[in-house]
Amino acid sequence: MKGVQQLSRRTISAIRMGDFAVSANDGVLRSLLGSCIGLALYDHTHKVGGLAHIVLPQSRGHGGPAGKFVDTAIPALYAEMETLAGRSLKPTARIAGGANMFSTTVIQTIGTQNIEATERLLSELRIPLLGRHCGGEKGRRMSLDTATGVITIEIVGSDPIEL
Amino acid sequence: MKAQRENVLSIEQLDAFRTAFHEGAAEASTALGRWIDKPTRISFDVVEQLPLDEATRVLGSEGEPICFCVAQMTGRLTGQLILAFSDASGLALADLLLDQPRGTAGAWGQMETSAALETANIIACTFLNSLYRNFPADPSATSELLPTPPRFSRDYAASLIEFAVMDQVVATDHVLVAQTEFQIDGDPVDWTLLFIPDAESMMTLREALRERR
Repeated sequence: MKGVQQLSRRTISAIRMGDFAVSANDGVLRSLLGSCIGLALYDHTHKVGGLAHIVLPQSRGHGGPAGKFVDTAIPALYAEMETLAGRSLKPTARIAGGANMFSTTVIQTIGTQNIEATERLLSELRIPLLGRHCGGEKGRRMSLDTATGVITIEIVGSDPIEL
Repeated sequence: MKAQRENVLSIEQLDAFRTAFHEGAAEASTALGRWIDKPTRISFDVVEQLPLDEATRVLGSEGEPICFCVAQMTGRLTGQLILAFSDASGLALADLLLDQPRGTAGAWGQMETSAALETANIIACTFLNSLYRNFPADPSATSELLPTPPRFSRDYAASLIEFAVMDQVVATDHVLVAQTEFQIDGDPVDWTLLFIPDAESMMTLREALRERR
């Protein structure tokens, strides 16, 4: 199934634009973000996590990878985590990205819409949003360690931070 | 899916654009050679429409920080023109331009950054002038193709590409990326020029290349 990777022990997996992956208890999920949104879901009790690299706010019936749009990526990511766990989960969420290096109106608008759509859908699904690291002009490397739930944000020229 | 198909170039349009891009890259390479007074050559030259997950890999090691000078294109075509290079390549070029022994430049100071920006400006202006001359004429289009003054930065390669293709991504799952690599004979300098039009320019390209056929 395209768009889904289930990871083995200590695998570091790169999640690219419009893609997502889930892992239980061990893998590190990583994504390089620019204007897109990185969404990490994690269930601390069962140590199951997922990371999506979301590009646009709404699919509006278009095809393409489920991970590309907020309205398809979040349900798909959530469902895949529950499939991997074999049970219902109660994840929490953190988001990062939505930068605008070139200061264009289109990208600024998309970034804002992505953040708003993500927050709205997380709220509807009753998934608490515990942290965000969004905006600015620089890219980010977002990593989710599914053994611990720790999310690290790296920016070129700055010290890494824990989100 | 009609809209998706309408936002990509046909094989014939891509071939026609490839010819114009190659001309521009060749002229930019010549201008670079004159600027540094050394023989330069194009080691790689490709125009592709790539799926999103492949587009972020065009600069190779996507997780490594790279340096780049980016200029916005203005006029008939709009979007991003990017000159990307490793720290080593950029600093080696600064040594060349500042006429100092190789390895003298060890960090990005004002002089090194200025050398990179001026080089990017020369390449961008030459490339766009050539593209304008070789692009199908449109009687209603009077505006030239010009770059804004370039800006220098360092970031992850994949993040840079994501910023650049974002405007196209709104309309399609495939993005047009034109790429050429310059090498300088005898020096460890390897720079990549990326031409990434925005969604509006994709429409212009399709119309203009339809005129040519």
